[in-house]
Amino acid sequence: MSSLTADSFKTGYLPTWCPGCGDFGIWMGLKNALVELGIGPDDALLVYGIGCHGNMSAWMRTYGVVGLHGRTLPLAQGAKLANHTVPVIAISGDGDCLGEGGNHFIHAAKRNPDITVIIHDNQVYGLTTGQASPTAKDHLKTKSTPEGVTDAPMNPLALGLVSGATFVARGFAGDMPGLTKIMKAAIAHKGFSVVDILQPCVTFNHVHTYQWYRSRLYQLDAVGYKPDNRLAAIEKSLEWGDKIPVGVFYEELVPTSEDHESALAVGPLSGQSLGVSDIDGLLGEFR
Amino acid sequence: MVQSVTWKIGGEAGFGIMASGMMLARAFSRHGYSIFSLNEYPSLIRGGHNAVTVRIATEPFHSLDRSLHILVALNKETVEIHKKDMMAGTILVYDPNDYAWKPEEVPEGVTLLPIPFRELVQKKGGDVIMRNTVALGASIAILGAPFEYVADVIRDQFKKKGEAVVNHNLDIARSGYDAVGAARGAFSSLILHAPVKQEDYLLINGSEAVGLGAVRAGLKFAAIYPMTPINSLISFLADHAKSLGIVYKQPEDEIAGINMAIGASLSGVRSMVATSGGGFALMVEGLSLAGMIEAPLVIDVGMRVGPATGMPTWTEQGDLQFIVHAGHGEFPRIVLAPANATEAYELTILAFHLADEFHVPVFVLTDKYLNESQWCVASASMKGTVTIDRGKIMPTSDVPSEKSYKRYDLQVPDGVSARSFPGMKGGQYVANSYEHDETGLVSEDSEMRTAMVDRRLKKLDAIKKIILPPVVYGDQRATQAIMTWGSTLGPVLEAMKLTGFEIHGAPTKVIYFPWVYPFPVEEATAALKGVTRIIDIEQNGTGQLASLIREQMGIEMTEKLLKYDGRPFMPEEILEKLESQKS
Repeated sequence: MSSLTADSFKTGYLPTWCPGCGDFGIWMGLKNALVELGIGPDDALLVYGIGCHGNMSAWMRTYGVVGLHGRTLPLAQGAKLANHTVPVIAISGDGDCLGEGGNHFIHAAKRNPDITVIIHDNQVYGLTTGQASPTAKDHLKTKSTPEGVTDAPMNPLALGLVSGATFVARGFAGDMPGLTKIMKAAIAHKGFSVVDILQPCVTFNHVHTYQWYRSRLYQLDAVGYKPDNRLAAIEKSLEWGDKIPVGVFYEELVPTSEDHESALAVGPLSGQSLGVSDIDGLLGEFR
Repeated sequence: MVQSVTWKIGGEAGFGIMASGMMLARAFSRHGYSIFSLNEYPSLIRGGHNAVTVRIATEPFHSLDRSLHILVALNKETVEIHKKDMMAGTILVYDPNDYAWKPEEVPEGVTLLPIPFRELVQKKGGDVIMRNTVALGASIAILGAPFEYVADVIRDQFKKKGEAVVNHNLDIARSGYDAVGAARGAFSSLILHAPVKQEDYLLINGSEAVGLGAVRAGLKFAAIYPMTPINSLISFLADHAKSLGIVYKQPEDEIAGINMAIGASLSGVRSMVATSGGGFALMVEGLSLAGMIEAPLVIDVGMRVGPATGMPTWTEQGDLQFIVHAGHGEFPRIVLAPANATEAYELTILAFHLADEFHVPVFVLTDKYLNESQWCVASASMKGTVTIDRGKIMPTSDVPSEKSYKRYDLQVPDGVSARSFPGMKGGQYVANSYEHDETGLVSEDSEMRTAMVDRRLKKLDAIKKIILPPVVYGDQRATQAIMTWGSTLGPVLEAMKLTGFEIHGAPTKVIYFPWVYPFPVEEATAALKGVTRIIDIEQNGTGQLASLIREQMGIEMTEKLLKYDGRPFMPEEILEKLESQKS
């Protein structure tokens, strides 16, 4: 579609995110990626969780599902199996995907459906006004951890890698060109692609600011890193501190969840005829 | 000669008890006999006591009764456990090497028939585990049927394992058949008449009937986490996924299951989940989501004994109130509750049609007794054409639209607004768990909220127009009525058959509800016209149908016959309890 631009996705609503929120960058990066891939409003399905990230559904005109907190990936998988010709992108958060939906994330990764999950990772629950999320780190003080977080942080990249995800990347909400590139690659990847996006929360996380990230981030492809080894990727995913890598950690092509379903070989389930013609053969088993 | 025989086999779990029951049942159903077969087993894979009871009759019947004509005991414990079930005339078939039963150790009138199962198996070079096959052969002989009845079933059962295995099993079954030999004359009383009508019967359990109904209705996607008593639905769908072109996915939990099914439904296919009460507890938030975004969905809940893990392999009707009221917020739903396998098939087809017609979750509420018992179903009732109507769907267009599609159009008179599916040009909308406007965008506006609630609830008016009325059995003019639902119908009807639809000498009708929610108030009122005494019979501890009727009709039923020990009602038990109650 030649006329497709970022404006094609306008709904008439304006974002309600806090000024300076990392969600703006992620939203723009996603729109750019869709435009560059030629995916218009009625071509793809976006499945949102509950959290600040999910509010994107109100200013993003596409087929959408706003599910329940944590349940984005099961909804996305069901939709994908019903019509695997439609790109399915899960828009999720660190609480949605790794807290309430942690088990779903692990199992989605091990099945390898052709779905992209974009994790808004700001270490806090913004919509409920600032409690710690599963990725909260560096003794972050939040409303639910006034003395600083003591639980070990979850690492979405490492978790995705050990669970079988076939595309694992990290982006930064303050790097628009980098985000667009990573999201394009993730959506184009055939398999379960995880994009963890480091995202400042200007209201509730005063440690991990744009400045904090900018002084630490480095691009993996700039240092000659090759994303073709799962073990090396796991090791790389554990890097955190003065130097924090962003980019694609791992990518491989193996059959997807949909590839294993023989019913999909002839086309999407949603387009197939519904009637069972040979009921006699089926009934014969019960004689 | 007799018209009905009840046969029971018992032994240690893992010793082929279930398979023997199935094979005996098939041996007779293939020749037009009416069959019902009940499995009883503890929640273990091996080591516990298993039993299968098969009733074989020359005419259709509704349930087991207390008769026990043949008890095959594969161990000593079986006799001890089922001593109370034996009666005068019961033939006890056992291995004297397990224990040499003396007449005074069993109830009076029981005929002892020792058959050395182990010796016979060993003589034929078989493994001791094959002694159930000896027992099967012996049972066929006692019932006066030709050996070919069982040979036919054995051939089918083992054909995949090759001719040698088939012949070995035939040989062993034959040795049991012949062992009855000389004594056979003594059992002429148990020889069955020929069936009254030559009907082509299938033997199907409730879960398989739901599965057959689902695929007949065009099911394309199911995500079901394993749970007793719906596991054979999983096997049915998984085994046939390839040939039927459907997807069965095992989810990581029931929460994922219902959300996957909702996702598939939104993308345009007929989808379902199945579980038991505990798994459904996890699905409840998903049910509410389906209600909010108006996703058609079929949910099969096979009730078992609760609360919590309860008695997982035993039966109960304890979740009616739970199912009717589950889910946060208010939204329409439909609850159907079949009584037997034929109805499970029919109501599952109906459930898919209702889900698509009204965009609501529809329950098929079953139980362990229905799901895991083998029912006799006339094959004719499952043949014929099933018309599939997907309900209102947005007309397809090649034109991409600048605007989002009004998936939740407020102008539709019946509240049901046409669906679009991802990928359809110009159909983009948001299926939003938040309250939303006509295109699905979030809205907290007072007027919009009110209009959306009104539109969703308006569907109830349309649903009520096609509600299934209760079924009345017996004399319509009777002033006494039994109210019941689900699989309890069978034993109730069997009890009424014994008395000619009378209690305390007065004519009694049975009012049965295959459609329990929204409750058919007007239809039930009509059925109750002139009735002065109502008795509620159901399998739970509180009388949940009675509660629903009080909520919906303002009628309080004071006479309740309730059972909650995990075992299905027996017709005689119903009559005894009714007789002991004052009219």
